Amino acid sequence: MAPPIAKFNTLERERIFKNPSDKSFQTPALQEMVAPHIEAFNALTEFGVGKKTGLLDLALQDIGSKVVFDQRGSGLGNKLSFWVDEITLSKPALSEKERHSITRQIYPTEARERLNTYKGKMQAKLAWRVNDGPVVVETRDLGQVPVMIRSNRCNLQGAFPKELIKHHEESEEFGGYFLVNGIEKLIRLLIVPRRNHVIALIRGSFTNRGPTYSTYGTAIRCTRPDQTSQTNTVHYLTDGGSMLRFAWRKQEYLVPTMLILKALIDTSDKEIFDSVMLGDLENTFLTDRVELMLRSFKSYNLHTREQCLAYLGDKFRVVMNFPEDFTDVEVGEGLLRKIVLVHLKDNRDKFNLLIFMIRKVYALVAGECSPDNPDSPAHQEVLLGGHLYGSIIKEKIEDWLNGIRAQINQDVRRKIAGVDFLNNQYFTKTLQKTAGLQDIGQKMSYFLATGNLVSNTGLDLQQATGYTIVAEKLNFYRFLAHFRCIHRGSFFAELKTTTVRKLLPEAWGFLCPVHTPDGSPCGLLNHLSHTCKVITQPADVSRLPSVLASLGVSQTLVPARGQKTVVVQLDGRIVGYCTSDEAKKVADALRHYKVSGAQGGAVPLDVELGYVPISHGGQYPGLYIFSSPARMMRPVRYLANGKTDMVGSFEQVYMEIACMDDEIRPGESTHQELAPTSMLSILANLTPYSDFNQSPRNMYQCQMGKQAMGTPATAIKYRTDNKMYRLQTGQTPIVRPALHSTYGMDGFPNGMNAVVAVISYTGYDMEDAMILNKSAHERGFGYGSIYKSEIIDLGDLRIRGEPILHHFGLGMDAPRSWREKLDRDGLPCIGVTLKEGDPICAYIDDTTGKTSIKKYKGMEEGIVDEVRLLGSDSGDSELQKIHIKLRITRSPIIGDKFSSRHGQKGVCSQKWPSVDMPFSESGIQPDVIINPHAFPSRMTIGMFVESLAAKSGALHGIAQDATPFTFNETFTAADYFGEQLKAAGYNYHGNEPMYSGITGEEFKVDIYLGVVYYQRLRHMVSDKYQVRTTGPVHNLTQQPVKGRKRAGGIRFGEMERDSLLAHGVSYLLQDRLMNCSDYSLCNVCTKCGSITSPISTHTSNSLSNVREIECRACATAAGIDQIALPYVFRYLATELMSMGIKVTLKTKP
Amino acid sequence: MNYNAAQSTAPKPPAAAMTYICAECGSENEIKPKEPIRCKECGYRIMYKKRTKRMVQFEAR
Repeated sequence: MAPPIAKFNTLERERIFKNPSDKSFQTPALQEMVAPHIEAFNALTEFGVGKKTGLLDLALQDIGSKVVFDQRGSGLGNKLSFWVDEITLSKPALSEKERHSITRQIYPTEARERLNTYKGKMQAKLAWRVNDGPVVVETRDLGQVPVMIRSNRCNLQGAFPKELIKHHEESEEFGGYFLVNGIEKLIRLLIVPRRNHVIALIRGSFTNRGPTYSTYGTAIRCTRPDQTSQTNTVHYLTDGGSMLRFAWRKQEYLVPTMLILKALIDTSDKEIFDSVMLGDLENTFLTDRVELMLRSFKSYNLHTREQCLAYLGDKFRVVMNFPEDFTDVEVGEGLLRKIVLVHLKDNRDKFNLLIFMIRKVYALVAGECSPDNPDSPAHQEVLLGGHLYGSIIKEKIEDWLNGIRAQINQDVRRKIAGVDFLNNQYFTKTLQKTAGLQDIGQKMSYFLATGNLVSNTGLDLQQATGYTIVAEKLNFYRFLAHFRCIHRGSFFAELKTTTVRKLLPEAWGFLCPVHTPDGSPCGLLNHLSHTCKVITQPADVSRLPSVLASLGVSQTLVPARGQKTVVVQLDGRIVGYCTSDEAKKVADALRHYKVSGAQGGAVPLDVELGYVPISHGGQYPGLYIFSSPARMMRPVRYLANGKTDMVGSFEQVYMEIACMDDEIRPGESTHQELAPTSMLSILANLTPYSDFNQSPRNMYQCQMGKQAMGTPATAIKYRTDNKMYRLQTGQTPIVRPALHSTYGMDGFPNGMNAVVAVISYTGYDMEDAMILNKSAHERGFGYGSIYKSEIIDLGDLRIRGEPILHHFGLGMDAPRSWREKLDRDGLPCIGVTLKEGDPICAYIDDTTGKTSIKKYKGMEEGIVDEVRLLGSDSGDSELQKIHIKLRITRSPIIGDKFSSRHGQKGVCSQKWPSVDMPFSESGIQPDVIINPHAFPSRMTIGMFVESLAAKSGALHGIAQDATPFTFNETFTAADYFGEQLKAAGYNYHGNEPMYSGITGEEFKVDIYLGVVYYQRLRHMVSDKYQVRTTGPVHNLTQQPVKGRKRAGGIRFGEMERDSLLAHGVSYLLQDRLMNCSDYSLCNVCTKCGSITSPISTHTSNSLSNVREIECRACATAAGIDQIALPYVFRYLATELMSMGIKVTLKTKP
Repeated sequence: MNYNAAQSTAPKPPAAAMTYICAECGSENEIKPKEPIRCKECGYRIMYKKRTKRMVQFEAR
């Protein structure tokens, strides 16, 4: 068995580069990678395959109509109801007023280059009617809403490389982000509890709800069709009863479950008893509690459903804010519809599920089942950006309607003259008054720009900030990783316990075990494995109940048959009962239908069949089927027919999925992994031979790969990022895993192949330092540059209401020195070098007629690369805003950071002259020398293997496949590449005799010499060095300021002081803490010991200018003396004086 | 005696047009100061400055 042959595909890539396709992508995997983002956004307008209605339409249905009354005549008076009929979001286009452009569409590149937001017009059809009169419909503008790139509301939708290049995008642009003020913003994926599934919880905090509240509870996060959610919790009370808890508009409410049960359907105590017991009458624990629950409810004196509803309605009338003409019963019904188990429409279903929740909490209390772990991916799903975006839009629309309602109510209450419901003008006038709530576009832009959620309801989420991140294009690795990262929620970041951060076995195949940062976000910020998919469309399961019935699942209404009955749920709806054994058979049959497509596709592939067997105190048993979107699923091979099956995180726990071929257990294993690397994220997969490394090293590489100076983009010319790092001499790695090509990494090289010798040569390679061959550096090894953006907006100088008074230009009064850097138009010449203080642009002020300049403030020399003149939205105003791209060259220097792909970072300590470098027998000199001590403790054997593989690859002129898990004990990498080296005439083990570059003598040992792909990291001394002798000081204390930017000092703190004292060099402190800090000379009165009282007075002799100092307290100059004091001490003395505390110094000569 | 006329003509530099490149269609546009930034060919709203014809010397050290 040999690893698959890797190829550079140079010619193929060259061909595609020359003739970009207009039919297909070169790397479709990249498009697939962002699919969750784009599909979730598309769902706003098209939810479900081939549907023309989206989440926004569903949201409108849920909002319904708002009603106000004018209190005219007797009773409530005329009834005005209004609602939003339809909502549209159009693709970004120029305004109708603009009439110069050839095309009306706006493409993302314009938003990027003009530092604008890529947004489309949102319109709503607002309808209203008075009483039962005719419906009036008016279209209202809801502002410009930011639109996701390459979504169905983007003008690049469906574009292929040829067209993308035409519109100045990357050839493989995949979108998935928003453009806000020219910055690429992304709504990051968030982990939320799995929807429509009851989980059992034991939480100490539950007891805080009040007396008799226990730690036990069951919770369910119910999701409405529009993907907004509502969590319901059933609490177990120590007296045997139970309460339903829910939050409505950030306020918590607790209602007896019995009240809800009786309000849901017309039921009897017997029915409730029977449905909770499910025929398990021997269970006295259960009978006792159910009986108690039923008895205690008698105290409410509510007997019929009507009474219960009216009771509920009476209590919740104010909270729910329903129309005033609703009866109590209607309010009660509305409450059940809007808050209780909102994923179910039918009240009978809600009743059944609530009974199930009660039963599960009793089972939990009795110890029959264990609590479910909410930190396990099995009980989690993903909050997709598009769904969140839709929820926010929904809430903003509802806020708008509520605002209109409040405005009219206020008018009615104040008895304002113009209130006339029958006159349409009154309503339109009210709309104008509430225009602030109407601009949804501006609110969405704010959300994306800041990541802050401004919400009245809280959207059933635990955090208010941190929803969006900047998709930094530092290099391509980092950019990719942004789209695959998934956060646990900032609430958990503050948690003291570390349980949420643990890597759980349930995460296998869904979340990458390697790719998580170390430090504070460790374990909270995870990355999806590269095969993990997030379902975005609801599966069609309309025929599933009949299939279930045909497989022997009893109907819901039939009482259960004894103890061993388990529940069958479909998306949180109880569809039937059967025995556990039957449930297993059902699950197996459904699995077969699902993969084979039998039964006419009644069981779609995206359906999750979570069969939980009966256990002793384990997870609550049952068959839980999920078809909803936002679940994580991944492909595995179904062994029965060899086809690909999709497996979810809930069902995976109880499945037998073999990894390698030899792990298949006949009769037990049903599935097999497609590849052992499926569990790794994209970045973790790109580490070559990662299976040879100690695992933390692979984690480090995942971090460092994202910090490497690489190729952030190919369309650099059209980008306006604030800061961009670029490696000029990037190469394709000789050693690369198969996924390197799949994800098109060759388009974005991230490092260079370097000849590396592992040798302790000069002493300059101690402590992870590395020596760079000076000639390699001169040939361009690691040469990079930084692009920085300077944006100058003369609009900032403009005073509101005044015409434009500042224009770019160079007047006659401009000195010659400015003309060296600037052109006639006041803009810098392209190619000119700017130093600190040089003019970066010039403008003429009309009021004074003078020319002023803006200065370049950067400390480094920059070369003007591009100057962009940015017009206005409609292209009708003169030049006010420019964008200048500066290039700062960064050739590698001593102190710059480099790393291999195995978590082996180091700092360049010397650029060693080529003549003094050691050389091998074939005359090869290393580009990089590293110290052998870097290896024993770190155990990065993968780096040795890479070195071997790349060496033989370079010798034979081939690419080497470095996919992990291809070698094993019987077929070792050392032998495989050893043979290749031998064939090329080199040492089998990769060692070579080498000669000292200085003496020319052969070393006593052979040196491990090979080729390793090196990354140059963005941390460079030029950005870090901080040196100061004298400089700016703090105003108040006279001590040096801090901060590199301000040319400040580095704090010489307490611990540093301690070390000097310990060394017995305390006089150095005088220098550090006094002379180099806030040394000051100060007058002191030796008589009274005050440093505040000596003041200067005029001498009696008017001819002399010399001032005399005397103590104010002692009224004499006799005791005045001068001493050196830290300035802060004088400040302290004055501060103390202000509080009435005197400082006295005891002075001695 | 016409102060206004004298003032308006004397200190003003001649409104010299500069040539810029349209970011969309690549055509060259002569734009005078205070003229709107808009391509005469396609109406696009972004212009690039052309590379200077002046000598630019780098220190080759």
